[in-house]
Amino acid sequence: MSNSDLEAPAGVDYAETRQHEVRKTHMAMIDGNLTSNTQSSAGGVSARVFDKGYWGFASVPAMDKASAGKVARKAADNAAAMHRFGDRPTLDLPLDAHVGEHGYNARTPRSQKENIELLEELNGICTTKYPSLKSASFILAEEAHAKHFATSNGGRGLNCINRAAFYIILTAEDQNGQPIELMQPMSAKGNLANLDLSLGALEPQLEELYQHLQAKRVAVAPRGGEQTIVLSPELAGMLAHEAMGHPCEADLVLGGAVTGNLVGKPVASELITMVDFAHSYKGEELMIPVYADDEGTEATDAVLIENGIMKDFMTSRETAAKLGIKSTGNARAYAFNDEPLVRMRNTGILPGTSKLADMIAGVENGYYLMKTGNGQADSTTEFMFGITLAYEIKNGKLGSAITDTTVSGKAIDMLKTVDAVSDDMYWECNGYCGKKQPMVVSMGGPALRAKVHMGGQ
Amino acid sequence: MTINIEDIASSTLEKMTAAGFDTAQVSLSVSEQDELNIAHNEASLLRSTEDYSLSLMGLLDGRKASAALTDLGDHAIEHGVADLFERAKMAPQDEANGVSASQTGHIVQGPQESSLDLLAIKVEELLEYRAAEASKMNIDEGAAAYYLAREQVLTSEGSALSCSVGCYGLSVMGTAVEGDQSSSFNYTGGSANDLSTAHASQLFGIGDMLKDTENQIHTKPLGENFVGEVILAPTAVTDLLGWLFGQLSDYALISDGSVFKGSVGEIIASNLLTIRSRFDAPGHAAYTNDAFLAPALELMSEGRLNALLPSYYGSRKTGLTHTPVGSGWTVDAGDSAKADLIGSVKKGALVNRLSMGSPGANGDFSGVIKNSFIIEGGAVGPALSETMISGNMAQMLKDISGVSRERLDTGSEALPWIRIPGLHFS
Repeated sequence: MSNSDLEAPAGVDYAETRQHEVRKTHMAMIDGNLTSNTQSSAGGVSARVFDKGYWGFASVPAMDKASAGKVARKAADNAAAMHRFGDRPTLDLPLDAHVGEHGYNARTPRSQKENIELLEELNGICTTKYPSLKSASFILAEEAHAKHFATSNGGRGLNCINRAAFYIILTAEDQNGQPIELMQPMSAKGNLANLDLSLGALEPQLEELYQHLQAKRVAVAPRGGEQTIVLSPELAGMLAHEAMGHPCEADLVLGGAVTGNLVGKPVASELITMVDFAHSYKGEELMIPVYADDEGTEATDAVLIENGIMKDFMTSRETAAKLGIKSTGNARAYAFNDEPLVRMRNTGILPGTSKLADMIAGVENGYYLMKTGNGQADSTTEFMFGITLAYEIKNGKLGSAITDTTVSGKAIDMLKTVDAVSDDMYWECNGYCGKKQPMVVSMGGPALRAKVHMGGQ
Repeated sequence: MTINIEDIASSTLEKMTAAGFDTAQVSLSVSEQDELNIAHNEASLLRSTEDYSLSLMGLLDGRKASAALTDLGDHAIEHGVADLFERAKMAPQDEANGVSASQTGHIVQGPQESSLDLLAIKVEELLEYRAAEASKMNIDEGAAAYYLAREQVLTSEGSALSCSVGCYGLSVMGTAVEGDQSSSFNYTGGSANDLSTAHASQLFGIGDMLKDTENQIHTKPLGENFVGEVILAPTAVTDLLGWLFGQLSDYALISDGSVFKGSVGEIIASNLLTIRSRFDAPGHAAYTNDAFLAPALELMSEGRLNALLPSYYGSRKTGLTHTPVGSGWTVDAGDSAKADLIGSVKKGALVNRLSMGSPGANGDFSGVIKNSFIIEGGAVGPALSETMISGNMAQMLKDISGVSRERLDTGSEALPWIRIPGLHFS
């Protein structure tokens, strides 16, 4: 189906049509056993209509002109059916429209043979070089989204998102015979060929992960309560995404997130500037480049915090209209049958001028937090993320590894305690953000030194 | 939905056999959904979707590959089968690979037609209840939905399983707001074969959640470290069970990381804990993704573990007994009133939600307790903020000291409130 076949339904206040195809590869090897060897493709067409204050949406898993017409009519019918709930006041959606195609020239994909040989080689290395390991797992994953869109206000185009991820998971036994685990993710824009999966690149990572696991075998329990910590750059992105990213999504602001009352007020140390980038940072295209969102709005950067002061929110057409602010192009849908929601794109805390080594050296008694498993956000800006690798800092030097723990705090309090920001910048795009639908996002940041609440005895 | 799923699944299996696969499995699912959404306390969106999913799994000389596609055209399927064959040829041999044989059944369950009127009535009930009884609560998002899936699963070894399963769902997520103060967000929901049996506020604990969240706007931090008791609400018991099921399933068993791998027949939990399957839960057919009928299962009897839960592949890989597992679990009600359980806690918390990283492989965890209240001297006090608990999941199972008579039934789960001592608060 060509782009011109995507005709948004007429006679309504606003409408959009999207043809969306997702292709994925997933391979997993556990201790030499290929437990997942899957490729999938899912595609279809959807339409969404806004008319007299209500939305209607419809989708089918087909990509022909007749199906596009069918979902357009169904979406309009659905919007009309909503009037059983009574009349709603008119809402003037911002109606700027992006026209443009933003494809992606992916590298030649790695072959199935190359991928299986890699997994077997890595498993062999673990078996021979690290015989004390209880288990070694490796996961290869890539996904490619191609979205053609047309809107009733003249928007028309193509957006492509391609990302690849590779995971190493090592399991050992601690000194008490209990299993302990560490995971190393790698991610890139594009497909798996965009990752350096050569043995020359991966063997040092295996060795480093193995050494951390050995340190974890004799890990000590952390002290519970407020602690001084240095967050590695890998974790600062998670902090940006979870702690302040979600509470700055306009739908959550409308739902009562505390950030709604904080625009123009200090919410962080003046060392902190945080941005949800649309597609580029310092002239380089980022991992999840969004030039126009799934409502056809041209995507622009949303500066959430500037030098410690709360500034903007991330919006869709509807949330921008309700808040009376500009639409930033953050309305994104994960699959063809999903409606666009306010989602992050590439959210990061900008680097500062400190050196990571100096930041650690400046801590008398605290922790260096290096790896996380997951994180969660809240409308209060209270966040948590699980810590799977961390070390004590004593008198400015790294000490023993600590057992798995969780850190938490209110971002609008915690970020005010930041007294050093490193000059690093680390981006990653593995995993999914969850909010009704999954979503591929990237997150980035430098190392931060701050105080947080740490779980423990 | 005019797709003939039997014919397409059958012809696809024939194509796989003709391509040269030794054995194969085909699953074709055709589904439809109507979803009436709430945004910010108002009905907002009616979403109707149709979906197809054709899943292929082929084995060739012990080598396995799988694929999924939504395009059901002949050309797409033929291309998918040919590509699958090439990928299977390159996969490593694994004698544990296999497909189910001689499993047959047809399951029809739940409503087979959508009622938009019923969805609209439930949304109206929710919105009216919120306005009248919990006006500080802001329903950020919510939905009343109808879902119908028809599926045909065939294997080259004579398995033929099919279903037509419909259900309704109702869910609410939001934040209570007063002035410039906000609660943590809170949510609940569930699925049922019929939503008309009760007012929306009486389903899945929705009314209680909306009112409860209003009491969480003003919070206080604990401000001290101590060892105390928790009353885990059903919404938090889910996390405890989730860790247990992970320990009993493929990844932990194959990677030899399960702390319960050798524990079948042994007591691993308090004798107050009995866990049963509910594989015929609303929206689910009682068979597995690898095409085995999933009969009812008493997984744990008064603390004694009766089975591990490896898939067919997992069981052949590990030598452990295969236990087909569907979706849905219940925990037997206890003999204590919930109020008495709470009243017996000297110092601790009523925990409605655990926000935490994945527990360590050994069960160690720490997490923030959300939507939770302090308990002192048996009385529920203020809502808590910035409070964490830490402990070990395996130890928590053993330490359960009370199970409530009351249970929250969300369709796929029916769980009680559970009292557990010995958690570290910080």
